[in-house]
Amino acid sequence: MILRKLKNYLFLCLMTLSGVAVLIPLILIITYVIKMGASSLNWQFLTHLPKPVGESGGGMFHAILGTLYLVSLGGFMAIPLGVVLGTYLSELGKGWMATFLRHAIDLFTGIPSIVIGIFAYVLVVVPLKQFSALSGGVALGIIILPVVTRTTEEILKLVSNTTREAGLALGLNRTQVIWHILIKGNRAGIFTGVVLAISRAAGETAPLLFTAFGNSYFSYGLMQPMASLPAQIYTYATSPFEEWQRQAWAGSFVLILLVLGLNLSTRFFMRQKS
Amino acid sequence: MSINLFRRHVEFRQDQIVLLGMRVLAIAIIMLIVSLAILLFKLSLPAISKFGIGFIWGQVWNPISEEFGALPFILGTLTTSFVALLIATPLSISVALFISEICPKKIGHIIGIFVEMIAAVPSIVFGLWGIFSLAPWIQNSATPFLKSTLGFLPLFQGPSYGIGVLAASLILAIMIIPTISSFCREVFRTIPLQTKEAALALGATRFEMIKITILRPSFSGMIGGVVLGLGRALGETMAVAMVIGNSHRLAISILAPGSTMASVIANEYAEASNAMHMASLGYIALLLLVVTLMVNGLARFIIWKWSPKI
Amino acid sequence: MNILQVKNLNAWFGDHHVIKNISLDYMTNTISAIIGPSGCGKSTFIRCLNRIHEEVPSAKATGEVIMQGKNIYDADVVSIRKNIGMVFQKPTPFPAMSILDNVLIGVRLQEKLKKARLMDIAENCLQKAALWDEVKDKLNKPGTSLSGGQQQRLCIARSLALNPPILLMDEPTSALDPIATAKIEELMDNLKKEFTVIIVTHNMQQAARIADFTSFFVLGDLIEHGPSTEIFTNPKNKKTEDYIMGKFG
Repeated sequence: MILRKLKNYLFLCLMTLSGVAVLIPLILIITYVIKMGASSLNWQFLTHLPKPVGESGGGMFHAILGTLYLVSLGGFMAIPLGVVLGTYLSELGKGWMATFLRHAIDLFTGIPSIVIGIFAYVLVVVPLKQFSALSGGVALGIIILPVVTRTTEEILKLVSNTTREAGLALGLNRTQVIWHILIKGNRAGIFTGVVLAISRAAGETAPLLFTAFGNSYFSYGLMQPMASLPAQIYTYATSPFEEWQRQAWAGSFVLILLVLGLNLSTRFFMRQKS
Repeated sequence: MSINLFRRHVEFRQDQIVLLGMRVLAIAIIMLIVSLAILLFKLSLPAISKFGIGFIWGQVWNPISEEFGALPFILGTLTTSFVALLIATPLSISVALFISEICPKKIGHIIGIFVEMIAAVPSIVFGLWGIFSLAPWIQNSATPFLKSTLGFLPLFQGPSYGIGVLAASLILAIMIIPTISSFCREVFRTIPLQTKEAALALGATRFEMIKITILRPSFSGMIGGVVLGLGRALGETMAVAMVIGNSHRLAISILAPGSTMASVIANEYAEASNAMHMASLGYIALLLLVVTLMVNGLARFIIWKWSPKI
Repeated sequence: MNILQVKNLNAWFGDHHVIKNISLDYMTNTISAIIGPSGCGKSTFIRCLNRIHEEVPSAKATGEVIMQGKNIYDADVVSIRKNIGMVFQKPTPFPAMSILDNVLIGVRLQEKLKKARLMDIAENCLQKAALWDEVKDKLNKPGTSLSGGQQQRLCIARSLALNPPILLMDEPTSALDPIATAKIEELMDNLKKEFTVIIVTHNMQQAARIADFTSFFVLGDLIEHGPSTEIFTNPKNKKTEDYIMGKFG
């Protein structure tokens, strides 16, 4: 009897310890980033281009804009496509094409992002013979598409049959029922999926390493290489220069704010809705 | 019976056009997916035809002499993933149990959110923390401890610079904990309250109730979660690339630097020195893709077979 | 006067023959009820009348349903539903839409009307659905913020907005509490001044209360049809009598 109670107590202690232990790395990382990053974060960092090696100052303005540009580009290509595909999979359901597509898109969420980078490389960089913002956008688009598709399909599948029938019974055609009732009616959930996909894409480094590649300047050109926040952090972090390492921390701070901010806001938003 | 709006014969003109448009789009995406696979294969073809299947156990990776073999990277991937799973699995299951069974609901919910936030932290930030915080700790605190206790094992021999297989495994472990534990939480959630209450009513302690009514039935579900975690670990690139040391040599000690399939591509692809180098990296990407697809496919099969409620 | 004629209607789910050769006529400005034990095909029957039955995979129907001289099975399925509206058992206000938007969605998508005219229609229909007084100050609130009974009246108003001569109702009060049910039964009496209502109900007493005519179905067959007073006090068929007396069902 006592042995059982002892085992029970031991077990509960271990569980509690592990529950706390798992949180430690997260807290460590976030506090470390805040400590190292916030001190290096200043107005110059946010608004200036990098200075040559050895000189102090300069910033990641080009990289921040680059991330916004690349994510928007990827999103522009992938989000409408994802919603349409998700709708197709939900409202058509069966057939070899739909099944294949559904499984393929699901598997895509598990493909390492570096391989997705290679996909974008062979698709865009090879024909164009250069690194470009376009290829970076395509890479991020490939990351965004499966998430949006799956979210849309899941949400539409939750809608009750009666809602669809009620729409048809009003004399609406199927396209109207889908657009006005299903999609517009569930735009909150679809939007959440979109924001989550974007926050993931914004944090990705690997797919951009040999597509958008990186740039010391900001260029508007679709066909030019483009800097991005994660890639710039990588370059600076792995460099031997202390000044650059400092800025890598500042960049991480901005990146974490962006990504976690988007992520947490969707939770808050969804809670508001229900 | 569920109704899908496009399943039946569609009469209305506008609907027919919309349906056709969707079908065309679906075909286009399928073709895109297939061509991605083909293009990747084409990229790797020079390496595949030169090295064949022996690429997998080739030990030499020399861009200059154009001798390429993937064994160091395959082993690196396997080692880091395996060690990460070893560390992460018990922790993940414990956390999942802690959140769902031991914590009061509200606190459990908050802790659950924290755990999921770990998954949201970009890989590069993990890498940065790994270089400047974790690696020094490994070099200064963990290594002496390991050497003094387990130093007789070849696993812990050799000098340590903080950076290496151990650092990469630790970071990977942290990164896959959310994957495994979120899934386990879902599995545990399917256990009905009545079953748990019945066990307690028989006089079982909390631990015994958990063992009997949760862990035993959820076993295959948890395996599915672990395989999912494995799939995640295999593909993780940036954090690993930044702390693993990027050495091409085979080493037994986990304190030594190494490389994984993903990290070598990340490090060398942009500046590949010649076509065979690039093709070999492409070959590695192909292998990585195949392995990841198989592991993820296996996870989904396990889940489908033994935890269909999820 | 005949507003709807059903001739030799048969319906299947796959191989399962659920409606067996039913012929029936409906009079203008009346309320007709369909009663019968569970699984007798009442819902399937009424769903054939606006061709919603076909939406289920493996469903099939043959026969004629004639309205205004035309067989709806020969006409375009989208347009016939403007003349035959339907209210379902489960109240389904459309998600993320206000009460006003819910009422007007059918009209807005099919006709181009001015805003003033639309507001008139909305008020008119909400009045007929006995909901206007309860929602007139909160027309922009979400449809889902209403109670179950109010949501169902909203769905009724939504169907009325298209001014369909015939309104089908598939167990509209099964999911509602007695008070909400009573409110809807009340408004139905007003509805028949302008519309013709066909209602499926599993509640005999409801049919006796509100319907002018009643049909009795068993396992896909029409057993008896006639004025409600006759069906409930002096049924001609033994099966009808047994059902009314509660001997089965």
